[in-house]
Amino acid sequence: MTMTASIPMRGRGATPRPAGLGAPIVTAKGLSKTFKLGGSDVVALRDVDLEIRKGEFIAFVGPSGCGKSTFLNMVAGLLPASGGVAHVNGQPVTEPSRQVGFMFQTPVLLPWRTVEKNVLMPAEVFGLKEADIRDKARAVIDAVGLGAFVDAYPRQLSGGMQQRVALARVLTYEPDVLLMDEPFGALDEFTREAMNLELMRITQAAGITVLFVTHNITEAVFMSDRVVVMTPRPGKVSGIVDIDLERPRTIDTMQKQSFSDLIFKVRGILGNTHGDH
Amino acid sequence: MAITDSAPPALAARDPERAERLRYRLYSLAIVAVIIAAWEIAPRAGLVSPIILPAFSQVAAALWSLVQTDFFLRHFSVTLTEILVGFVLGTAIGLMLGTALAVWPTAKRIAYPFVVGFQAIPKIVFAPLFIAWFGFGQSSKVVMAVVISFFPVLINTMVGLESVPDDARKLMRSLKATPMQTFRKVSLPHALPVIFAGVKAALTFAVIGAIVGEFVGASEGLGYLVELYNHQLRIDRVFAVVVVLAFIGAGGYFLLEWLDRKLIFWRSDDNR
Ligand SMILES: Nc1ncnc2c1ncn2[C@@H]1O[C@H](COP(=O)(O)OP(=O)(O)OP(=O)(O)O)[C@@H](O)[C@H]1O
Ligand SMILES: [Mg+2]
Repeated sequence: MTMTASIPMRGRGATPRPAGLGAPIVTAKGLSKTFKLGGSDVVALRDVDLEIRKGEFIAFVGPSGCGKSTFLNMVAGLLPASGGVAHVNGQPVTEPSRQVGFMFQTPVLLPWRTVEKNVLMPAEVFGLKEADIRDKARAVIDAVGLGAFVDAYPRQLSGGMQQRVALARVLTYEPDVLLMDEPFGALDEFTREAMNLELMRITQAAGITVLFVTHNITEAVFMSDRVVVMTPRPGKVSGIVDIDLERPRTIDTMQKQSFSDLIFKVRGILGNTHGDH
Repeated sequence: MAITDSAPPALAARDPERAERLRYRLYSLAIVAVIIAAWEIAPRAGLVSPIILPAFSQVAAALWSLVQTDFFLRHFSVTLTEILVGFVLGTAIGLMLGTALAVWPTAKRIAYPFVVGFQAIPKIVFAPLFIAWFGFGQSSKVVMAVVISFFPVLINTMVGLESVPDDARKLMRSLKATPMQTFRKVSLPHALPVIFAGVKAALTFAVIGAIVGEFVGASEGLGYLVELYNHQLRIDRVFAVVVVLAFIGAGGYFLLEWLDRKLIFWRSDDNR
């Protein structure tokens, strides 16, 4: 069965997303972060400048400790910047916002709630009436392929299914920007591929801008419009690769020569900046 | 392309599990039978003096005659009241203090050293003091029960509330949840299994507190009866009272266990 159930998002069409067409939605200017560790300073991120356009899918790759999570946390308003500023929808980020959804490597489901109740949890926090959001939640749960599991509890689901619930939870409150920190890192290759396709399809249809952190270069190239390659200590952007593969992308996309070339290109930038990739 | 669109996994089909539970229950029963048999035979065969350990049947007879007397019922209800009031108050105090320490870092910083220091005191030494302060009646026993039973609830409440995974906190922060929302929707349910373990311990401690209080100075209650019969060398009755106390403890424990299963339904059997 296919995931064709359309998600009624706020009036954004399923426009294809060639980079550079939408207006900037997430920007970073001189964004820096220094952690105090004991007596010394750890520069996690230094002077990151980035402009991400509405509807773009951006992947971040880079060795462990180069500040990818730190960057996402600052864009999410979960971590104050030490220097520079991030903007979302033209507003400087000072605190978390409903326009920005966050998804982690672990699904972080509440084991005492059913799938549906987990998906409805943010709505409760926002003070929305359950009746108003229920249909929406059902539609999103259907769209991530869990229609038959609305009343199941998390422990009855596999890891991949739990991560789908987490995806449904964040999609239900219709964020403009979706921040994902290695969301599929714990999944097996097959599940990961399925999730990649679904994520692309759903976010593209809804026009959601995605910032996606991963260690998996294939996954990064497969889904993205641009891949941002970062270097550690201090973390900064060492290169940005435009992924001009046609959309919609399918498993066949991975067979193409241009696909392998792009992976090589990303690897190349990674390899130039440090030895172990 | 979905790989998951089938019916939810059946939760029935637990027959092998049930058979296994039954088997273990049989084992427990067998152990009980062996203990009772040994208890009956040892004094009768002269292996131990009946003054030290009366035969099971003698204890059973003593128990049977005891429970039919009004005066026993009076002592029973005195102690039961002390235990229950002590347990409920102790649990309530433990919950409140544990929550306060967990959600209010300043309070924890200030009070935690005292909490730890207090834990190090064998609280039983307070018993004579409490008799002096609160008199010979039930209140000194209730205070004793409270003082030794609130502690496991306090510690478990605090530890449970603090052990909420970082990602869960982060999720709630990303939703701009208020501290109260985070507490009610995430922290409290998350802590519940740990809190419940503390509450179960509190019940056992409340029993100990009430009995110790009665040992030290009382004119009624099951602890008083144990002392009395011990002096009179009516060891069969001593054992009979001990059996009653065991039933109070076990009954309360199983009640809590049942409540635990009802309340914390999401806990899978392998991590309880
Ligand atoms: N709370 C913190 N306190 C001190 N240092 C920190 C803190 N968080 C992160 N760092 C440091 O900042 C740097 C970047 O960390 P970050 O978690 O952003 O890396 P990352 O790119 O996400 O790594 P990974 O791929 O392993 O997830 C690291 O050197 C880390 O040690
Ligand atoms: Mg990270």
